[in-house]
Amino acid sequence: MLQQLANGVFTGSIYALFAIGFTLVFGILRHLNLAHPAVFTAGAFVGIEVATRTAIPVWILFPVVAVFGALAGVLVERIAFRPLRGRDDEHFAGLISSVALGGVVIALLQARYGTEPQSFPREYFPNQLFEIAGIRVTLTQLVTLGLALVLMLGLAWLVSATSLGRAMRAVAENPTAAQVVGVNVGWVTAGTYAMSSALGTVAGALLALNLGQAGRDLGASIELVGFAVIILGGLGSLWGAMAAGVILGLAEALTITYFDSTWKGLVAFALLFAVLVLRPRGLFGHVKVREV
Amino acid sequence: MLDGYDTLITTIALGAILAYSFHVVLMAGQLSLGQAGFASLAAYVSTLVVPTEPIAGSISPVIVGLPVGALVGAAAAFVVGLPVLRLRGVFLAIATIAFGEMVRVFMTNAEWTNGALGMRVEKWVTFDFAWIVVAALAYLFWRLGPSRTGRAFAAVREDELAASAMGVDVVRTRMASFIASGAIAGVYGVMFAYFFGRITPATFDFGLTVDGLVTAVLGGYLVFFGPVLGAGFLTAVPEVQTALGLEAGWIHPLVTGLLLLAVILFLPGGLSTLFARFRPKPARPEGDDAALDGLAPLPAKGEPIAAIRGLGKAYGAVRAVREIDLEIRSGDVLGVIGPNGAGKTTLINMISGLEPPTSGEGDVLGVALGSRPHRFAQAGVSRTFQHSKLFDRLTVLDNVLVGTHPVSRSTYLRRLLWLPSARRDERRALALAWAQLRRVGLDDRAHVRPGALSYGDQRRLEIARALASHPTLLILDEPAAGMNHVEAAELADLIRGLAEDGITVLLIEHNVKMVLATCTRLVVLNFGAVIAAGEPREVAADPQVIEAYLGTEDAEESEHV
Repeated sequence: MLQQLANGVFTGSIYALFAIGFTLVFGILRHLNLAHPAVFTAGAFVGIEVATRTAIPVWILFPVVAVFGALAGVLVERIAFRPLRGRDDEHFAGLISSVALGGVVIALLQARYGTEPQSFPREYFPNQLFEIAGIRVTLTQLVTLGLALVLMLGLAWLVSATSLGRAMRAVAENPTAAQVVGVNVGWVTAGTYAMSSALGTVAGALLALNLGQAGRDLGASIELVGFAVIILGGLGSLWGAMAAGVILGLAEALTITYFDSTWKGLVAFALLFAVLVLRPRGLFGHVKVREV
Repeated sequence: MLDGYDTLITTIALGAILAYSFHVVLMAGQLSLGQAGFASLAAYVSTLVVPTEPIAGSISPVIVGLPVGALVGAAAAFVVGLPVLRLRGVFLAIATIAFGEMVRVFMTNAEWTNGALGMRVEKWVTFDFAWIVVAALAYLFWRLGPSRTGRAFAAVREDELAASAMGVDVVRTRMASFIASGAIAGVYGVMFAYFFGRITPATFDFGLTVDGLVTAVLGGYLVFFGPVLGAGFLTAVPEVQTALGLEAGWIHPLVTGLLLLAVILFLPGGLSTLFARFRPKPARPEGDDAALDGLAPLPAKGEPIAAIRGLGKAYGAVRAVREIDLEIRSGDVLGVIGPNGAGKTTLINMISGLEPPTSGEGDVLGVALGSRPHRFAQAGVSRTFQHSKLFDRLTVLDNVLVGTHPVSRSTYLRRLLWLPSARRDERRALALAWAQLRRVGLDDRAHVRPGALSYGDQRRLEIARALASHPTLLILDEPAAGMNHVEAAELADLIRGLAEDGITVLLIEHNVKMVLATCTRLVVLNFGAVIAAGEPREVAADPQVIEAYLGTEDAEESEHV
């Protein structure tokens, strides 16, 4: 039982990390970036390739993946969202253009890595087993949890306490007014995408490290859970997404324990459906949500 | 000739049917993504009713499945729509995705569906059968476009608030598009099952939803055959690549993705943009004045239009409007003035039904305050907005045509049957619209979009749209704002002309000169309450009014400018 709960927390921290990328972009720029799952997958593949080729240690691997992710994020914004700015169907077209770009990314991954799943080199990361208070955890899980916590807290600090964060919040409130008072909206937009995608790629590499391998459908498999997390947490709410990620991880772990793994999806979506109908701003959301 | 391409061409048909189920919600501006769930339910239920042998020797048994599938899809959409249609945008999208996933998990775990392995059925759907269904759908959408219902869909897509102020029942229109989408998705589910001969829960997953959405958007909503264009494009691209000898597995999705990206970035209306320019422009009908004669007479001068007692509106602790008593009689040109934030717009929002009052009661043309907005419009209240709320992606003429909603009858079903009465009704609506365009002097700009008009012309277009409903009470919210002297003088002439025609006018305006030149009565608001009312000249001379609004002697000059 405790073991299941612990597993739920580990899975949930990856969900949260993935979903925060979604919710950050939505909260600040009102874009639902559907290329995010593809970037997440790319993060996993890039992580595996770098680990295989260079054998650099894990604590360098993740910064490398994050830099790749940041670049990818800036590109996603440039290609799929920037050209649509000011069009009356901006939000709608953004959904489609990001789906299309996501498809392109997945096709490029296939071109480079083929159709077979890729694996981290054996022995790349010591799969040590600890036992804490009767719960067995692997070193990978501990690293996952630690890294997720550090990144999420770091992001929260950045948004709430730095001048970049203040500029981001200003853009979220009113982009035109922010521009008028001298906020460089272009930079904030690029920075938001860079951070979102950096988090996404690191989450992808972490999930691959946990699973030992990554396939092209890695992102697609987590995409819908990501939707559930951002809605449960309240669209645009960072703390909400963190809490909701863990709640969903726990809920899934419990469903598997008490019912059957085939029912796993139902819990997340039934919860999501109920929250949307009863409390559309999410469990933790208090932000006034603008419509798309 | 088509040997070997049977499957390909049928696949295009199936893709088009799926895309139509998205097309219909996109037309009404709703991002609904539950189609996979509706299709799945319909496909499974249809296996219970479709016979195993051809009917009368040769007719495909799927013919029984189609209405059942449509019914199941429509019913499911209605049940899901009741709770979720309160949501909009991304929230609606994600709620409907959640529904689709719930259906998938449920079907995977149900006994009678044979779980994840799915069911096998006969392959009864042939190439011609599939295209007959597509043709039928295309026909339905062809006839929908220029009908009153089609215009209501477009109005809801462009601006729900303005649509409801023009008498369109927004709740019903959204639900109608949602149910239609469910029905078409149901038809798709049945067609899919009996084409591939196999139903598994995994078939109807999120990927299918994305495919349908992409096809519909790629095709575009501008022409009725948009979904066919989208499906043809997405199916043909991989085929062409194969024919060109590009065999590597990753090239197909890469090229498809890049082409999709190019279309969405450079052709905003999808592929239909390429065809939209060939759409006929409705010409001005002969003798459009005759249509005006057939309208119901306006109430005689002096008859009560609105009676309001103790009206109040509070937003939390802020009382925007308090204890307002107001009576409007036919023939009045009632001016409402007051400083910014005095509660003028809140007052008319309540009178036109856009906001319910928090205290007080009253009725306007027999409609109780607090009723839904389209009821006010249908009773004869029409309005313009302070910040113009035109339907940006409709032409000037189509904007005004939406305005005729309350005085025209639904033509869609009759258009399907080509009844002459439908054509007569549409022609009458067109005549009404042209007449109003001429009245405000915009008849030579009928086929451009509102964005191409000058600011003053946009305000006049709003008035034409409001007039098209043949209103008893016309409410104008700062119509002269941003106009120059000449335009404002023309507008004052227009308003006086409307009053001579018997239309009761409620005018909010800061241009005091214009108010004094047009109004027969004046009400002055300050801090949400009436501080003076009566003859315009008397009110303007009231010291309290001068202090609150017109300003002291020194400032007065600037207010008159």
